Amino acid sequence: MRTRTFTTRSEEETIALAADLAREWTPPRCVLLIGNLGAGKTTFAKGVAEGLGAAPAEEISSPTFALIHEHGEGLLYHVDLYRLETEAEVASLGLEEILARQAVVLLEWAERFPRLLPEERVEVVIEPREDESRWIVVKELP
Amino acid sequence: MPYILGIETSCDETAAAVVARGGEVLSSVVASQVSTHGKYGGVVPELASREHLRAIVPVVREAMEEAHASWADLSAIAATAGPGLVGSLLVGLTFAKGVSVVRRLPLIGVNHLEGHIHAVVLDARRTGEAIETPALALVASGGHTHLFLWPGGEHYRLLGKTRDDAAGEAYDKVAKLLGFSYPGGPVLDRLAEYGDADAVALPMAKMKGNPLDFSFSGLKTAVLRWVQSKNMEEEIARRRELLRCNPRPSVEEWLRVTPRATLDVIAAFQRIVVEELLKRVERAAEETGARAVIIAGGVACNAGLRRAAHSGRLSCPAYFPTPHLSTDNAAMIAAAAWPRFERGEFDDLSLKAQANLALA
Repeated sequence: MRTRTFTTRSEEETIALAADLAREWTPPRCVLLIGNLGAGKTTFAKGVAEGLGAAPAEEISSPTFALIHEHGEGLLYHVDLYRLETEAEVASLGLEEILARQAVVLLEWAERFPRLLPEERVEVVIEPREDESRWIVVKELP
Repeated sequence: MPYILGIETSCDETAAAVVARGGEVLSSVVASQVSTHGKYGGVVPELASREHLRAIVPVVREAMEEAHASWADLSAIAATAGPGLVGSLLVGLTFAKGVSVVRRLPLIGVNHLEGHIHAVVLDARRTGEAIETPALALVASGGHTHLFLWPGGEHYRLLGKTRDDAAGEAYDKVAKLLGFSYPGGPVLDRLAEYGDADAVALPMAKMKGNPLDFSFSGLKTAVLRWVQSKNMEEEIARRRELLRCNPRPSVEEWLRVTPRATLDVIAAFQRIVVEELLKRVERAAEETGARAVIIAGGVACNAGLRRAAHSGRLSCPAYFPTPHLSTDNAAMIAAAAWPRFERGEFDDLSLKAQANLALA
C-alpha cells in the first residue's frame, strides 16, 4: 500500500491536486472519496474531471439526488451512495457493471459498504482543518 | 379540442394528466413514492422503477377517467425523456411509445425542466394573463437549481446553475442532520416561521467566476458545524423517535421536540437559501432586462420564498405554479408538449431516455 499526504489551502489547490492525481489513474479505476458533509468531495471531483478531460470543473455538481453522474462519454462516473442504506440497494445501482468499464469511478459514501468494493482501489480521505486548509490522504490499495 | 396525455416518471412520482390546449388541466394524477422512500431520505433507483411499473397503468387509467376522455379523444402523448433516473424514465417513456404505436398518436418527448417552467406557463394560458418575455425561469428542486433566460418560444439560455448541491438537496441534507423528515423543504419552511433568523449567523456563498451560479454546500456545512458545536444528540434522537412513531408529525408535534435555538438556525438557513436564490434572480433581471420571473420546481412551494419574491424587491412580476403543480406532475409535461404539438414537431420511437438531458 502506498500512502501519500497532501495539504491544500484553497479550492483551487484542491482542484489542481485532484487533476494531477487523476492523470496518474489508468482506467478501470475505483476511487473512494471519504470525508464528512462539506469536506470537499465535490470540489475534489471537479479536479478529477478536469484532469481526465471529462468535463470542466463548473459542470460537476453533487450527484446525491441523481445517484450517478456520467461525464465525458463514459470517461468518468461520479457516484454518491449518501441516500442508500443497505447493500441490496447499492447492488441495484449496477455498481459492479460500472466498475468494470474503462473509466475512473468516483464513489462517495461507499466506505459504508466495504464488501461491495474491489480490493484494488484508491482511497482519498479529505479532512478540513480549522483554517479552511485540507489534509488529503491518498491510499492505494492493496 | 386537442387533448394531450402527459406522463412523468423521472424520479419518485408516477404521474399522468390530460391537458386541453396546453392550459386546461382536465386531470392530474400523482402517485407519490415518498412513503416508500421516506425512511431512506431519498429515492432508491431499483425500488423506484418497480414502483413506477406497478403504478403506471392505474395512474393513466385514473387520469383518463377523471378527464372523461377516451383514447380517441387524444391528439398526442407526451412523456418526460430526461433528465432523471434512467430506469424510472424508461417506464413512462416506454409506456408512451406503446400507446403511440397502438393508438397511432404522435409522440412528444419533454425535458423535465421545461415541464416545470410550463407548470407556470400553463396557468397563464388558462387565465389568458400573458407572462411577458423575455422572462427568467428559475427551476429549483432536489436535483436541480438552474436559472434560464426564456426569450419565449422553444429556446432557453442557461444563465447559471448550482456548482455543488441543489437548493432542495440542501433542505433535505440539513433536515436529515437535524433529525427531521424527508423531504426536508416542507418541514423546515414551516418551522422557520417560529425561529429568529438574526439569532444565528450563517454565511452567504462566495462565488468566483459566473456570479449567477449557485452554491449551497458551504451553507449546509455551516449548519453541520453549528450542530457539531452544540450538544444535540439527545434532541436529534427525540425527533427521530417521534418520526418512528409517526411518519408525518404535525408542526405542533415538531415544535414540542425542537428547542428555540434549533428553530433559530432553521430560520437563518431558510433566509439564506431564499436570499441566494433571489439575489441571482434580481441580478439576472437587471442584466437581461427580463420582464417577468418564473419560479418553478419543488422549492417553489416554499412559503418563505414566495413571500420574499412578492415583497416588491424584484423589478418585475414573479409567477409561481399553483402548489400542486410545483412538485413533479404530468400536467406540466402535457403543457410543455403543447407548443411542439402546434408546430407539428414529433418524436419517433428512437427517442431515448437521457439521464443528463440538457435544456440549454
